[in-house]
Parts: sequence; C-alpha cells; structure tokens
Amino acid sequence: MKKLFALILAVTMCLSLAAIAVPASADEIVINFPSIWVGTDSKAPYMAEMIEAFNAENAGSIKVVVEEQTDYQAYRDKIRTTITTGNAPDLCILDTTFDIKAFAESGKFMDLTPYLEDGWGENFTDGAFDAWSVDGKVSILPFEAAVFTPIYNTEILKAAGWDHFPATYDEFFKMAEDVKAAGYNVMGQMAGDNAWSSMLWYSLIAEAIGGKDVYEGGLSNPAFVEAAKVLKEMYNYTFDGAVSATASDVNGHFLARDTAIYLNGPWWIANFYKEDNAVDGVLLADVCEVATNPAYEGGKGDNGLVTTVQGFLAAAKQSDPAKEEAVVKFLKYISEPERVAQWALSSGAMFFVKYTPSPDTTLISQKVTEVSNNASYTILHVNGAFPTAFSTEFPAALSALILGEVDEQGFVDQLQLAIDMA
Amino acid sequence: MKLIRSDRKALYAFMAPALAVMILFFVIPVIYVIVVSFLKWNGISAPALNNLKNYALLMKDKSFSRSVINNIIWALVAGFIQVPLAMVMAIILSRKPKGWKFFRTVYFFPQVISGIALATLWRAIYNAEHGMLNGLLRAIGAGAAAKDWLGTIQTAFPAVLIYWVFYVGYYMVIMMADITTIDTSYYEAATIDGATDFQQAIYITIPLIKKTSLLTCVTLASVMGLRQFEQVYMLTNGQPANTTSTIVLYMYKKMQNANYGIASASAVILIIVGVVFIVCIRKLFEGRGDKPVVAKNVRRAVK
Repeated sequence: MKKLFALILAVTMCLSLAAIAVPASADEIVINFPSIWVGTDSKAPYMAEMIEAFNAENAGSIKVVVEEQTDYQAYRDKIRTTITTGNAPDLCILDTTFDIKAFAESGKFMDLTPYLEDGWGENFTDGAFDAWSVDGKVSILPFEAAVFTPIYNTEILKAAGWDHFPATYDEFFKMAEDVKAAGYNVMGQMAGDNAWSSMLWYSLIAEAIGGKDVYEGGLSNPAFVEAAKVLKEMYNYTFDGAVSATASDVNGHFLARDTAIYLNGPWWIANFYKEDNAVDGVLLADVCEVATNPAYEGGKGDNGLVTTVQGFLAAAKQSDPAKEEAVVKFLKYISEPERVAQWALSSGAMFFVKYTPSPDTTLISQKVTEVSNNASYTILHVNGAFPTAFSTEFPAALSALILGEVDEQGFVDQLQLAIDMA
Repeated sequence: MKLIRSDRKALYAFMAPALAVMILFFVIPVIYVIVVSFLKWNGISAPALNNLKNYALLMKDKSFSRSVINNIIWALVAGFIQVPLAMVMAIILSRKPKGWKFFRTVYFFPQVISGIALATLWRAIYNAEHGMLNGLLRAIGAGAAAKDWLGTIQTAFPAVLIYWVFYVGYYMVIMMADITTIDTSYYEAATIDGATDFQQAIYITIPLIKKTSLLTCVTLASVMGLRQFEQVYMLTNGQPANTTSTIVLYMYKKMQNANYGIASASAVILIIVGVVFIVCIRKLFEGRGDKPVVAKNVRRAVK
C-alpha cells in the first residue's frame, strides 16, 4: 500500500512539474496578461473568445496567456506590487484607484503614441487620451468607459404612487417618503467594504449641487459639505445594516425587487436580462427605467453626467521590439470597432472606441446611451477626480458621518486630511 | 562547558545557513523598511528624503492611534484570555476524560480552516438583516437587542474580537504536548497527599509549563494579536469610522494609497510595539517555576 501511495505521489509530482515546464515553441512570443475581465465579469465571455481567436490566428508566433484574478482588490494589490517592484506584466488593466498620472510619468510602460498616430488612434473617441497623456505621449490607454445613471424599478414607484422619476432632489425625498411608506427601500447604500454605491451617489449629488466646475478648488468647494448632508439623509431610506453593507447587499436588494433605485456602471446591465433574476418569467429589465440625475434646488448642476474610466490598458515597456509589436497587435485586435461593438452588446459595457452599436443592443443600454448623449457636460466620478487616498478613506469618513461621529464638515475634513497625508 | 576550536567551527557551520536566511529574509527587509520610513515614496517615482515627517503625520492621525490601541487590546486578549482558556482546555483534556480525543479534534478543527473562510462565515452570522445572531435574538423574543453588529461603533470591535478568542485549539495542543511530558510521579505523590485535581493543576501543571509552553503560547498569541489583518479586513475593513482598524490594516491602506513612506513608518512602530510586548511578557514570566517549587507547592496545598 505504501508503495502505491509513493507511486501516486511521484506521478502527481512529475505531472505538476511537467505542467509548469510546458515550453512555448522557440519563436513563440508569450504575452503575460493578468486580467480582471474573467469569471463572472460581464466582459469575460467575449474577452475569452477574442483571446482564443487571436491565439489561433497567431498560433506558433504569439500567445496571450491570461492569468485570471476575479477579486478586484486582490488584482489591484498584485498589479501595484508587480509594477512597484519593476516586474510590470506585459499587459494589465488599471483603474482610477491607481495614480494613473504617476504611472504614465514613470516610464515603466510602453509609449503607444507612434502606433496611435499611425492610424490606430482613429478607432478611439475624440479626446479620449487628453486627460491621461503626459507631454503628449500616451502610455496608459483609457479603454472601458462608465457613466452612472440611476435605474429604477417602475413597479415599486407605481406602488408608491409615482409614475415618473423625480426631477429634483426635493421631489426625490418626497418620493422616498412614499416608497418607504409603501414598504420598500428607496435605494441601496453601503459604507462597508469600499462604499462604492454611496460614493457614486455622492458624485451625483455633488454634480447636482456644484455643477461642471465642482472639482475646482478640490474639496474646499462647499458643494461637498452640502452633498454630504444629502447623502446622510439618504441613509434614512435604505435597508437595515447599510453601515456595514457591501456591494453584494446593494445588488441583492435590487435583484430581490425590494429596492426602488439602483446606481452602478453599465457593466451591470447584463444582469437585468438574466433569466436567473426573473420573477414569474418577468425580466428585471422589463420593469426598469433609466433616469437622469435629479437637479438640486439652488444648485449649479444642469443635466450633467458622472462618468469615469473604468479600465485602462497598460503594457510594460519591452526591450524586445518583436514583443512590443506583438503586444500592440493584440491591443489593436481587441480594440477593433467591430469587435468592440460585439463586446459592448454581450456585456453592456461601454468603451472609448468609436463603434456602431448593434441593433440588438439592449433597451436599457440604449437608454443609458441616450441619457449620456443628452447630457450637457460630464464630470468625473469622485474616485477618479481625487487621489486614491480619497477613496480609501471614504468608507471610514462616511460611517463616521452616518453614525454621528462627525458632522458634514468633519466628513469632508477627514477626506481632505487623508489626501494631505498622501 | 568550554568549547574547543573544532566544536566552534562545527557550531558556526551549523548556524550559517539559518543565519544567512535570517539576514536575507528578515534583517535586510527590516533595515529596508526603516530606511523607507524616512522617505516620501509612491513606489513609482524616485524617493525623496522626508526626515521624520512620516512619523509626525502618524502621531497626528487618529485612525493610526486607534489602530495601535486596538492591536494592544488584541494582543492582551490573546495572551491573557485566549491562552488561559486554551490552558484550561489542555489541562482538562490531558487528564484524558471520556471522549477527550473527540474534543481535542473539535477544538483544533478551526485551525485547519483559513482565517478568511472563518471571517466570511462570521460576517454572515453578524449580518444585520439575515444574520444568524439577530435571527436567534428574534427567535427568543429579544429582537430589540438585534443590531448591525459590525456597523455599530460600540459593538464592531468586540464582535470582530470575540469569536476569535474561542479558537483555542492551536495553543491547546501545544500545551497538551508539554503536559504529557510531566513526570507522572508528581501527580501520584500529590494524589497520595490528598491533593485534588484542581490543586494538582494549580501547583504542579501550571508551574511546570509556565516557562515552556505557556510562555511560548502567550508570546505567540500576543504576536498574532499584534499582526491581525485578514479577520478585520474581511469583516469590517476597519470600519465603522476606523474603530476596528489595526496597524497592519492601516499599513495596507497606506500602501493602497501608494504612500510607502507612511506605510513603512507604521511598520516600524508595529515592530517597536512587538518588541516592547515580548520584553514585557518575558519579564512577567521571570521567576521561579522549577521542580523544587512544585514539590513545596504541593506540600503547602495539602496541609
């Protein structure tokens, strides 16, 4: 018996070593790509399809190897560590929680400018690179876009006696009272984890109060104190335990149809169409409508739109020109307008690529696009407008605000202190 | 005993690999962390000397002082509540009562489950809306006591701390292993002298493990308490209002902000707190605890 176990162990070890040591063919260029667009991410299926097709088309010469990471925070930690230690992966996805400007200035990433100027740049939306280029050079490529528009459950509003979404925040809180009286939560809020939903609401409220110039002067703009007051008020209309709640609580409540309003990026739209989330055969999408950010009485906001870069693509600087060409070839491949159109259709995500939306685009995606196109101006989501320290401190400052540990000014001061320390 | 030259050479030869590994993976990183703690560095751009500013900022930051206090509480609870609990269990089970093997396995079982999994489980138990704890309270008619355990300032830190205190299996098996090495003649003599089980535990077992496994466990538990991360990260991420934060979590957040200077300064403070703790524990356990004292104790106890 011992011999049998020893044999099994030896065979297992040999197989493991063999799996690790599978060599690429001598001339094959391997592109290492740690990716977050995997697992349950709505972009994952089409991304996998594209990589498979690309590898098949370039069999023997280029191979993209995806290193899957499904947890956003773990992915960010990994990427931050590899870049800091000088081992940046061949290709990776960044978001606004990274100091994109510092990364772009670091010289650790490939300069994509010559390739973009050689015609590839035509594929991207006008001005897409303006905010992220350094000295006219683009090394971090804004790729996935996001706009944040409230989506509401028409049945819940109807049950509360409302046939339209409020146009102002005053009206919003009247509606909130009615929805609450009807036995529903008005919206999902969360101060736990990264307080993502509440941070989005904070951006929307700040935009409504401060308008397109809300970020001028940083957090000293009084709009942020006022917005904190409104956000705190919203916690009276959310579910129990919102202070420790996470995104899964917020999502779960909206899917359970006990919450009237949902706020998240367009990548979440695909979930509205999932059969799993249907109730009595009625898809969630069939009872949802897209709203615009309400106006604030006396505020400077005028039909503005909160947006962000949800995903940047960054490629490590290569010493081998052939590998650089291979990486660029792959980047061009996945940013081909036809493929991006298909990607947008399958995931609901939006991209900084000019493409003609498929006629099969979901109704909710079409409405989100319509709201975006009708916006007078766009401003960044707070987590992109302020340094990373803002986002890291936000949950602590918010929970302190909600629990009465600090007032609205104290909330803003706490965020400012975090920024100053960084 | 005086070492002869060849013995010394052998001694150095045996020590060399461990020493090299220690220098490479501990001494050099610690020196590196100390150096970085005096810099302003985002991990990308060139670092700049920041003198003592990182430390000055830490002293001003309330969330850091809260993290230090939380860690000290955690280490004290670990060393002086969790380990004594483990010791009681070890003493009871080492008397080999009926079913002792089953209970040894049950108490040790949580140690084989990852801390992340346990924290996830407890997060579900503490859930304000659908958690088992609030469900239980409602079921017994104490629904008024139900609350957002992890979202209330008064309950969040105790909630994070309390469940972990009862996971005593690791220290229990260490002490059980030590107790089994105690010469049974002590217990036999004490039994003949009329000492009860309790008296035997107090006057024989504890003094004999005090300087060995008990000291080891208190030191280990306190150090574990000082470097707590995953439980807090998973359960509360330091919230609400940073009241459950720990030094390592604080350090992690500063690294997220690409502020490696302050992160390193907080690591240096953690090392200092750790050293102070270990020195205090050593001092506390100094004193007599050897065999003659045991014999005297037993005689005194049964008089």
